[in-house]
Amino acid sequence: MDRKQNLTALLFTGPFIVAYLVIFIYPTIQLVHLSFTDAPLIGPGAWIGFKNYIRLWNDGQMWKSTFNTFYFVLLTVIPTTIIGLALALMVNRLSGWFQSIILACFFLPYILPVSVVILIWQWVLDTQFGIAQPIISYFTGKPVAVFRDRYWAMPMVAFITIWWTNGFNLLLFIAGLRNISQDYYDAAALDGAGRFKQFVYITLPLIWPVTALVLTIQLILQLKIFDQVYLLTQGGPANATYVMVQYIYKQAFQLNKGGYAATVSLALFALIVVLSVLQYQVLRSRGQK
Amino acid sequence: MRGLMTKALATAALLALTMGAQAKETVVWWDFLGGGDGVRMKALLEKFNKENPDIEIQATTLEWGVPFYTKVQTSAAVGEGPDIMTYHLSRLPLGVSTGTLREITPDELKAAGIDAKNFTPANWEAAQVDGKQYAVPFDIHSVVLYYNKDLLKKSGLLGDDGLPKGLDGVENFNAALKKLKDDGVEVPLSTHTAAGDSQWRIFYSLLGQQDVPFLKDGKVLDGGDEQKAVDTLKEMASWVADGYTPANVEYPASIALFTSGKAAMHINGVWEVPTFTDLAKDGKLGFEWGAVRIPVLYNHPATWADSHSFAIPNNKGKEISPEKLKAVLTVIDWMNKNSLFWATAGHLPAYLPARDSEEFKTMQPNATYAVLADTAVFDPSSTIAGVASPIYEGMQNYFVPAVNGQLDPEEAVKSLKDELQGLIE
Repeated sequence: MDRKQNLTALLFTGPFIVAYLVIFIYPTIQLVHLSFTDAPLIGPGAWIGFKNYIRLWNDGQMWKSTFNTFYFVLLTVIPTTIIGLALALMVNRLSGWFQSIILACFFLPYILPVSVVILIWQWVLDTQFGIAQPIISYFTGKPVAVFRDRYWAMPMVAFITIWWTNGFNLLLFIAGLRNISQDYYDAAALDGAGRFKQFVYITLPLIWPVTALVLTIQLILQLKIFDQVYLLTQGGPANATYVMVQYIYKQAFQLNKGGYAATVSLALFALIVVLSVLQYQVLRSRGQK
Repeated sequence: MRGLMTKALATAALLALTMGAQAKETVVWWDFLGGGDGVRMKALLEKFNKENPDIEIQATTLEWGVPFYTKVQTSAAVGEGPDIMTYHLSRLPLGVSTGTLREITPDELKAAGIDAKNFTPANWEAAQVDGKQYAVPFDIHSVVLYYNKDLLKKSGLLGDDGLPKGLDGVENFNAALKKLKDDGVEVPLSTHTAAGDSQWRIFYSLLGQQDVPFLKDGKVLDGGDEQKAVDTLKEMASWVADGYTPANVEYPASIALFTSGKAAMHINGVWEVPTFTDLAKDGKLGFEWGAVRIPVLYNHPATWADSHSFAIPNNKGKEISPEKLKAVLTVIDWMNKNSLFWATAGHLPAYLPARDSEEFKTMQPNATYAVLADTAVFDPSSTIAGVASPIYEGMQNYFVPAVNGQLDPEEAVKSLKDELQGLIE
């Protein structure tokens, strides 16, 4: 009986395990191997030991890219979570078809492909014709070519990213809020708790697991930032938006250095694993307190 | 019954068509000619297909620059490249180093009747790496100074011969820009200040005018050359800082500034000649225009130049068949023999019989700026140079911010130098 069950289990999980081994584990092992060679973009290379890793350590542009990646994470992860929660609290107060429409409006950007998002914002922020330029001019006195400016570029990429992806976070928070029973609020209201106290002592603790999830998903996602940077700034001006994946792209596709690109990829992979595990543990323990 | 008959006839006709097509050799062609010259190339391709019933070119135009060359490199590496492609000679050493190009042997060239004698030696040798031929030159192209005759005339900068005057020398050039501005010209000089490739062409021309080598004996801007590069970059940045050239202008916008009559002068490639020719012909330009060699700001004339050429990708695991190769070389030979028409796209034909012909010598505005070929400076022959190369990327990353006042020119030159030097070692 036991054996038969095992067999059934194997039969059902088999296809997944095979696919997982072939399209994830095997390439990962190959990637590690590649990082010890001087391989070009396509084709094998010679074994060169730890040379790529030594180079990685001494590579100024790689450190700059790492720094920029963290800067981008800082600009997106927590703000997008807070905005998502705030919008969810507001949308949650609406009801019926009106709520559906508002929800759809917020979710709409998320279903757009990145190329469309970039085109929209390139026009909105165009130096000569952009409809957002009067707002910028109001503060700076003159139109700013935001994607060509060392200080504006990264915050604008972050802003566009939040605009684009926030709908998904909003949806997760809405689902979380709907799971909180109305009874808690009723009981708290009877005891004389105001709206703010209700939020701090009921909503926040009960929504925490969702918040932790959103933060973790966002962290992993934003560490891998590439599309927006590639389409908007290609890492410029003066390295201001060079992020790790853009740097991997440069090494692999522009400089034809597959081996070194694999090394940088591996560094990013390690970084994501460590940070996400760490963050999730910290958040979970806080939630259990 | 009648319907059946029609169907049978249609099937027969279709069969006949496909059988006809089978006898043809198809040549898959990729190019990056999306500018004003792309229209001319389409006409040439149509003409070829009409005149050569046994060869059919299937042409695709891809996006110029990094997208094109990335696609070519990766597709050739897995045997999925085209049969023939356009290629910048500036990039040839880089392309050979990545194994993207197939050698064309002397015997193959001879069999196709392609003779080195019909090209200038420098141009022909630029298509070689270590003495092996990897491409056949098609044209020489450069940047020129387009000018609005009406605006220059108003500011007294136009000679009786219809050519600009008083632009040579840095002081004179800047004084001319100031005069134009004072006379109410909105944009004295329009360049694509947002584009690294365009800034490279200007920068490299100005370095050439001072005999400063960008790369010499494996050293980037060695010794005192670094300071000269900084000074040159400062000069370019001053045009933006002084309000003569608008900051952060993208490629199409810089052309629009000129065609709309707002800009008195415009530095751009010869490939935009057809744009202005066609607009003027349709009466949509609204002013008289001309094109001349870039003014001599420093010691002597020199202009950046590059060459479009034809190359055969080294399709891994899918060696080109002798029949297909013959067809490809026929295409290359035919294109060069018909390159007088290509000259209407602004370029100078690489094929000397075309360039030396009477028709070319009277073709305007090409004949006016054709002298630039004598003092042309080509990109350094190196794996860091050429379109979509580390130099081009560095231009975008460091020089564009410097030109637009975002980055100190000293820092820009130093960062570029360090990055490129690191790639050579």
